[in-house]
Amino acid sequence: MNTELLGVIATYGLTLLLAIPLGRYIARVYKGEKHWSDFFLPVERAIYRLSGVDATKEMTWKQHLKALLTINLVWFVYGFFALLFQDKLPLNPDGNAGQTPDLAFNTVISFVVNCNLQHYSGESGLTYFTQLFVVMYFQFVSAATGMAALATLFVGLRERTTQTLGNFWMFFTRSITRILIPLSLLVAFILVVRGTPMTFDGRSTVTTLEGAEQQITQGPAAGMIAIKQLGTNGGGFFGVNSAHPLENPDYLTNMVENISILLIPIALVFALGFYLKNRRLAWTVFGVMTTGFILFVAGSITAERNGNTEIAAMGIAQPMGSMEGKEIRLGADASAMWGISTTVTSNGSVNAMHDSMTPLSGTLQMLDMMVNSFYGGVGVGFLNYFIFIIIGVFIAGLMVGRTPEFLGRKVEAREVKIATIIALLHPFLILVATAIASYTNTHHGDAAWTVQPANWLNNPGPHGFSEMLYENTSSAANNGSGFEGLGDNNFFWNFVTGLVLILARYLPIIGPLAIVGLLAAKKVIPAGGGTLRTDTGTFGGLTFALILILAALSFFPALALGPLAEYFGMAH
Amino acid sequence: MSTKTTSLFPRELVREAFTQSFVKLAPRTMLRNPVMFTVEIGTLIMLLVTLYTAFSSDGSQGSFGYNLTVFLVLFVTLLFANFAEAIAEARGKAQAASLRKLRADTPARLKLADGSLKTIRSSELRKGDTFFCEAGDAIPTDGEIVQGLASIDESAITGESAPVIREAGGDRSSVTGGTRVLSDRITVKVTGEPGTSFLDRMIALVEGASRQKTPNEIALTILLAGFTLVFLIVCVTLKPFADYANTTITIASFISLFVCLIPTTIGGLLSAIGIAGMDRALQANVITKSGRAVETAGDVDVLLLDKTGTITIGNRKATAFHPAPGIDKSAFIKTCARVAGG
Repeated sequence: MNTELLGVIATYGLTLLLAIPLGRYIARVYKGEKHWSDFFLPVERAIYRLSGVDATKEMTWKQHLKALLTINLVWFVYGFFALLFQDKLPLNPDGNAGQTPDLAFNTVISFVVNCNLQHYSGESGLTYFTQLFVVMYFQFVSAATGMAALATLFVGLRERTTQTLGNFWMFFTRSITRILIPLSLLVAFILVVRGTPMTFDGRSTVTTLEGAEQQITQGPAAGMIAIKQLGTNGGGFFGVNSAHPLENPDYLTNMVENISILLIPIALVFALGFYLKNRRLAWTVFGVMTTGFILFVAGSITAERNGNTEIAAMGIAQPMGSMEGKEIRLGADASAMWGISTTVTSNGSVNAMHDSMTPLSGTLQMLDMMVNSFYGGVGVGFLNYFIFIIIGVFIAGLMVGRTPEFLGRKVEAREVKIATIIALLHPFLILVATAIASYTNTHHGDAAWTVQPANWLNNPGPHGFSEMLYENTSSAANNGSGFEGLGDNNFFWNFVTGLVLILARYLPIIGPLAIVGLLAAKKVIPAGGGTLRTDTGTFGGLTFALILILAALSFFPALALGPLAEYFGMAH
Repeated sequence: MSTKTTSLFPRELVREAFTQSFVKLAPRTMLRNPVMFTVEIGTLIMLLVTLYTAFSSDGSQGSFGYNLTVFLVLFVTLLFANFAEAIAEARGKAQAASLRKLRADTPARLKLADGSLKTIRSSELRKGDTFFCEAGDAIPTDGEIVQGLASIDESAITGESAPVIREAGGDRSSVTGGTRVLSDRITVKVTGEPGTSFLDRMIALVEGASRQKTPNEIALTILLAGFTLVFLIVCVTLKPFADYANTTITIASFISLFVCLIPTTIGGLLSAIGIAGMDRALQANVITKSGRAVETAGDVDVLLLDKTGTITIGNRKATAFHPAPGIDKSAFIKTCARVAGG
């Protein structure tokens, strides 16, 4: 057991060791300082010229958003038709069919917005062409979109009294060429060495030990798995994601993939410190996020180790902890750690079935996504946290009797208004979507749809409720993991989650960028003796309390009816 | 002037505030505070539910006693919020009233047509009246000198510590109410009706100060309204969730949960806080024009003054004497006094 715990600690320690230098590197990349990685410059220039964009022009926050939203719309249209007609496109050795319009709508949105909610199974739902040129392509560009948005925020917080916040195309392109591609190559290489396939051959037929013939799906998986972890995408090549032995062959790959999940979100926090030359602020933010993360991991590991009380009540010992839905080669601790890593970072890949974890782990995983700002997705994680900083600064400012300010800029009614709307959006989307789902399930269970609402849920009672709540939380938090057990490939779920995905992605990017655009245009007031410091433990504690209280008040009623009711309903 | 301390709850203020806390229940007034307005709606619904349980045998909404308790708790919450606001307002008004009373009590020597003098209260002076002042008198109201010349201490109004000379004729003939004549005598003609003088306008500021919301108050109201909305959604969505779980939740439980979740404490006391801030400043003889000024005062790091009289009493005053070694202290003080006396 202690070896397992050591594995978890080593995984996190290694992540931290890598994240700090990576953060410094990222800060330099966005500053555009001279650097050895400038050998990418000719490549980048070629890309700019080919796409006809000017990567030197300074843009205002509105121009940033316009560029970001336009390019996302282009991807959406391209991806939708590619998925719809994938059976007519090349690279389809297994002869998989095209997706239905509602499934294609859901799939393309979920990949464009970096969520990767999968209502299909990769083996049969996609072709090698769409795996590579839709799914994997989007995994790169959607991650880079979030990172470019964050880089814009960096500029806004550093520059003094400015209208322009750097160039979106430069941030976007550099995120891919200098950060995502090099790291992906490295991770993919390790995966290939450990046995993950990277081939264009179709299914291979093997004879199993008992003499039966079995068809094993393979394909160009390693490259996609690398970026799905690094870019907090999470959409697996295979249906069962990283629990699949070909996606995640052994403990080493599990460590590498788990590090990849956490690496860039943590590195971006340090990048903030290096970029603003304000390391204390970065450490404060990191401290708050890490406190939350460690609490959640500790809680989940304890819950998984204690095993399933129903099984214990039958007199069966569980020396390895609760192993239902987990891989023997990974164990309970590493699965619990992954479960929390993937939900805090809005990654969404899984190496064990969250549906089968103990109710307390399920609660923590959902709470992670409801908070959605402990590390968070690449780029967007800090954007979410920034909203809480603004609200925190405002409340703390009132408490000490000063006009609230963050890094020398006054926070006034307009900023608070935007921050309130964004903070409100998350509970609104999750609760309303889940309410619609449970209403449909309870009152219109026999609706004449292909999949009747009454047949959505694999499990009755609180667990069934958790399945619906998890699905919506995962969509709103841009996570993409599923509680499974939910019949989600039908018009209702494809449409509802698709809508939630769009709103939950773009508004939380638009809001913080608007705030930072407004703040950047203001005069900077030099810090005095009475200035409220935002880089202290006290302010960190206040932000932490604010995040948790808001999440608890908004979501506890729902959680109480789902996983918590299940927990208290079990044998004790 | 000395700092005046009043007891926290003077009897007449409490009575007034108590009446006001019922008057303020009017929806039009409540609407200004969205958080408390939602509580009021909840209270109304609970009243209906309580009446319903009293006259119906339907037990699905809980017992009559339970509903009545919830209703009463909510009602008291509302009254308390109103009471806090009313008492803060009443204290501000009381301060202004006492200032005005003080002013009205200043004696004025009205010059009658036959040249004789009659002492009246300054509030009885009308436009066009003439009054007489000599050294040591306070000038009762704004006016223009028609005869004589005097040195006047205007530090209370302008902050100028040195006395100024005012004389009849020319452009240095106007005097302001509240200033003090230091030497000589003057006859002054009143230029304004009662209630329009400089001091009156200052008192009006104290009273009317609470009426505008400060920028931070506006931002806070937005934040609180946002939270209220989130928690409204939390409660409303609980209904389909409970349907799924085959549980019935009574209306009283919904409303109790909602009121517990929303930020009632800060929402209820918000306006009282602003008024209390200005009230505190007034107790220290600082007149704030608006809540915004109180807020700005919080951001002050360094205070620059162009006139010493603004913050002093307008006269020189020795607070301590420090003789050099070997000098007799009493002789030193006497010498100082002689020098100062000129």
